[in-house]
Amino acid sequence: MPLSAHKLTTCTFCGVGCGIYLESAGGAITGAYPSMSHPANQGRICVRGWHVHEVASSPDRLRKPLIRRNGALEPASWKDAYDFVAERLTAVKGKHGPEAIGFVTSPRCSNEEAYLLQRLARSVIGTNNVVHGLGLYRQTSIHVLRDMLGIPAATSSISELAKSDVIVVDGIDLGKQLPTIGGWVIRAKLAGAKLIATGNRGHRVAEHADHFLQIRPNTDVLLYGAMAKVVVDRGLMNVPFVQAHCRDYEKFLLAIQDFDVLWAAAECGVSPEAIEEAALTYARAKSAMILYSTGVEARGAEAVQAIVNLALLTGNVGKAGAGIMPLAEHNNLQGGCDMGMLPDFFPGYVPVENDAERRRLGALWHAELPAKPGVDLGAALGVNGGAIRALWLDQHDPLRRGAEVDAEMLAKLDFLVTQQMFTTEVSQYAHVMLPVVAFGEEQVTYTSTERRIQLTARAVEPAGGVVPAWLQIVRVAQRMGAAWEYESSAEVMAEIGQAVPAYAAASYENLSREYGRQWPCTIDRPLGAQILFESALPAKGFRFAAIERPAAPPRPPAEYPFVVVLGRSLYYWHRDVLVQHSETLKREYGMLLLDYPEGFVEINTEDAARMKIRDGARIRLVTAHGSGETLARLTGEVKSGSVFIPFFLQEMTRALTSGNHVEGDGQHPLFVRVETV
Amino acid sequence: MRARIIDRQDVPLLIDLLRRDHEVIAPFYGRGRDTAFDVVTDENRDQVQLHLPNPYYPPKRYVLPHMQRLMRYTLGAQPAVTSDGEARKRAIFGIRSCDVAGLFMLDRHFLGGEHVDVYYKNLRASLFLVNVVCTDREQDIDEDCFCVCADSGPAARENFDLQLMDLGEAIMVVAGSAAGEALFGEAIFRKATQEHVERRRAILAEVRKGFKKATSWYGATMRLISQGEVSDEAWEEVGRRCLECGGCSYVCPTCNCFTVTDRKVGEKEQEVERVRLWDSCALSGFTRMAGGHNPRKAVHDRRNRRFFRKLAHYYVQRQLSVICVGCGRCVNVCHGDIGMPNVVEILRRRSLEQGTR
Repeated sequence: MPLSAHKLTTCTFCGVGCGIYLESAGGAITGAYPSMSHPANQGRICVRGWHVHEVASSPDRLRKPLIRRNGALEPASWKDAYDFVAERLTAVKGKHGPEAIGFVTSPRCSNEEAYLLQRLARSVIGTNNVVHGLGLYRQTSIHVLRDMLGIPAATSSISELAKSDVIVVDGIDLGKQLPTIGGWVIRAKLAGAKLIATGNRGHRVAEHADHFLQIRPNTDVLLYGAMAKVVVDRGLMNVPFVQAHCRDYEKFLLAIQDFDVLWAAAECGVSPEAIEEAALTYARAKSAMILYSTGVEARGAEAVQAIVNLALLTGNVGKAGAGIMPLAEHNNLQGGCDMGMLPDFFPGYVPVENDAERRRLGALWHAELPAKPGVDLGAALGVNGGAIRALWLDQHDPLRRGAEVDAEMLAKLDFLVTQQMFTTEVSQYAHVMLPVVAFGEEQVTYTSTERRIQLTARAVEPAGGVVPAWLQIVRVAQRMGAAWEYESSAEVMAEIGQAVPAYAAASYENLSREYGRQWPCTIDRPLGAQILFESALPAKGFRFAAIERPAAPPRPPAEYPFVVVLGRSLYYWHRDVLVQHSETLKREYGMLLLDYPEGFVEINTEDAARMKIRDGARIRLVTAHGSGETLARLTGEVKSGSVFIPFFLQEMTRALTSGNHVEGDGQHPLFVRVETV
Repeated sequence: MRARIIDRQDVPLLIDLLRRDHEVIAPFYGRGRDTAFDVVTDENRDQVQLHLPNPYYPPKRYVLPHMQRLMRYTLGAQPAVTSDGEARKRAIFGIRSCDVAGLFMLDRHFLGGEHVDVYYKNLRASLFLVNVVCTDREQDIDEDCFCVCADSGPAARENFDLQLMDLGEAIMVVAGSAAGEALFGEAIFRKATQEHVERRRAILAEVRKGFKKATSWYGATMRLISQGEVSDEAWEEVGRRCLECGGCSYVCPTCNCFTVTDRKVGEKEQEVERVRLWDSCALSGFTRMAGGHNPRKAVHDRRNRRFFRKLAHYYVQRQLSVICVGCGRCVNVCHGDIGMPNVVEILRRRSLEQGTR
């Protein structure tokens, strides 16, 4: 490219992976704008993308490593910091064993960071206690998709939405979370596609839906089951597809008989006609796409299974305009999982208990690798935990995320090292803080929600000697005796290609030619794959899940007439640290918090009118466990009969659930009473 | 018309002439079909393109940067303020007529009133504009261009220093200012003949037919908006398609709203820089006031603001033209396809349906 001041990179906010150019001048990033040619966004980005240049140039960043001495964090040299981390980890391992140490990345960490951190944990420390995002990100999609499809990733691509006849948007506000995909959906609808939206919240994209099924919380398994039953009853299944490519169809058929549409409609709170029409629309499509969120408002395995069942039943896998897209709301949620930041999988989704694969990887890493799956680190650091004595947090602050991690537990750790760009809540418990470079200061890779492995551009030099996070991990490993030799992030990627077959040909050279590559990117298919299984659908390679009809979720008792929805996905970006460092983003995202300074809980407008509660009024929420006060925010988006609690109301949530509530547990919903104060 | 002719192969020499006294900015290809204005260096000088898609990142950023430091100041016992000083001389080679018209509107906004924006003035005063007329139907003219509707192109009538037009066998160079004409003494220029002038007229007449998108109801839409005859439902239809990204404002050559903030420089509490940043009325927080009141809280109230600002008679009178140059960028940038042409069409259709005539 003849351009010198402009570098093509990929945005690091959400999972779309838009193509963005960064312009720099005088050693600083001065502007950002979309690439018109990039296949995922084609000239469009969201408000966050338009401000990436501001974030990168923020002056509030940490610049020196800090070590806690005599209770206070003091600047230290990089050498001292690496030595200290290595020495402390070795000490904890010696005293308490490798299982007492945990490693956590953010779903926004690069592939190189994620790969190296799990390699450090497994081949140097000797533990599988690794995870991306503490306790928040249910691995349900990975297990379900692996089991039913063989590959835990989106089967199609974002631009394929333009070819879909029918699009299902399940449980996610695309306009807020993945706006570029929201745009593809709206434009597809304008061009004649039919849109089905499901979930318990309304949102901008749902306003365009031909069928909007606003269901009660925790009833999605019933909805999808009833839809599948309609398809079967009407004989609209794709028989050749099912017969040639799917197993366990009979078991599925047997189980689906119990999903009576009338019963399901009554439990979901929608009309049976709506369910029937949505099912028929989906089944009659020449090609249909389902988009669902893997964010933490997502639910248990059965909901994902029910979605995949529908796609398999109608043959909507492996052809243009069709597929299943598990949406990653963070830029490297997919990549972090691909790289094995999972307690039960090595890179490439190899189960840690698979002896042959464990030995192969062990040979690559010159170490004997642990066979026992890691613990649930979120739970291990919660109020009932205790076994973890040392923790490594790579760009993740669990206290900001409303996870079940208990601050007391963090305070009691023998050793906590964090890699951060800015000081946040968790910093007060850190023994060592290592500053990391910003977006635009390193060349690394991220894998988007459509399996696209992309390079970021190094547009400017990092200020003040700050080093990329991946390199810090290498230095610590070397101090601990590991003979790691990576001269560049490209070399890390070369090794990733040896560890992960789907990344085998994804060298930096290949990735820099066009717009990255969608895996599987292998030696015989170095251009990657836009649609999985397009060249060959596996013979009997897919599996139906026979879902036993769940009991109807309990209805609220008279004393506590509302169902609580704990929302982590929708307002995620409002507390994201990067957003705080752009004037415009801070304003846009901060408004809600300014309008409702004590936090807010969302109530349906009509429910509120009945209770004579006005917008902004002080209310008390009471459950069987406890109560809390906050302000009411009225919106038509929330379904009548439910109350939406954003995740940043952490104290409130703890009070109402006494710390015991499990996300997505349809059998034990949380009921609440709303009182005026 | 003060016109000269240069040979096609002399275009790089013209750029070299400009490089004597200016930092020259010119359009280059990026990845795929992407193009951008970037600095001409010895290394990329041969890759300056005369005919290519109009760079997406609008050249208004050379007078109104995406992020601009206005001043630095130090607090403490000896407070001090430093401005960033005079701008260096710059020439933009290859700015399109639509963007030239956009710059002219920004000039009237920032320089034409009682208060003159000194930061804008510094950057603008040192800018030399070399307009290139869009003549290549495949390369220059996008399917979303509609400058003929906005009366801003394909050949700017004024507000440039030099204008280049590809006549086929040679390039015509028109001077639009004394600074432009001053270059005509150089050896590469020779006199234009009447034949050249006729050729120019013929090309311009032909090129007009190459514009695929025609917002021919501009006039009616301006009237409907100015007279407040657009229904709430129409604006809600537009608003439903908006994902509040701000892109339309950012890419628009005539949009000029900004916000200002102070930021620490480095780690020292005492050193602060004041920066000006592009802002957008598409965003909810733009009109939120201290105390929480927001007169344009709903998305459709912000959509109607944008189109009022671009098309209402009140602004047209002040600007002496519609506040849209027909560059088509808003069509490309919008997730919901509510760029100018589509909104004009939506309002037209609804007025017919409603019987408002």
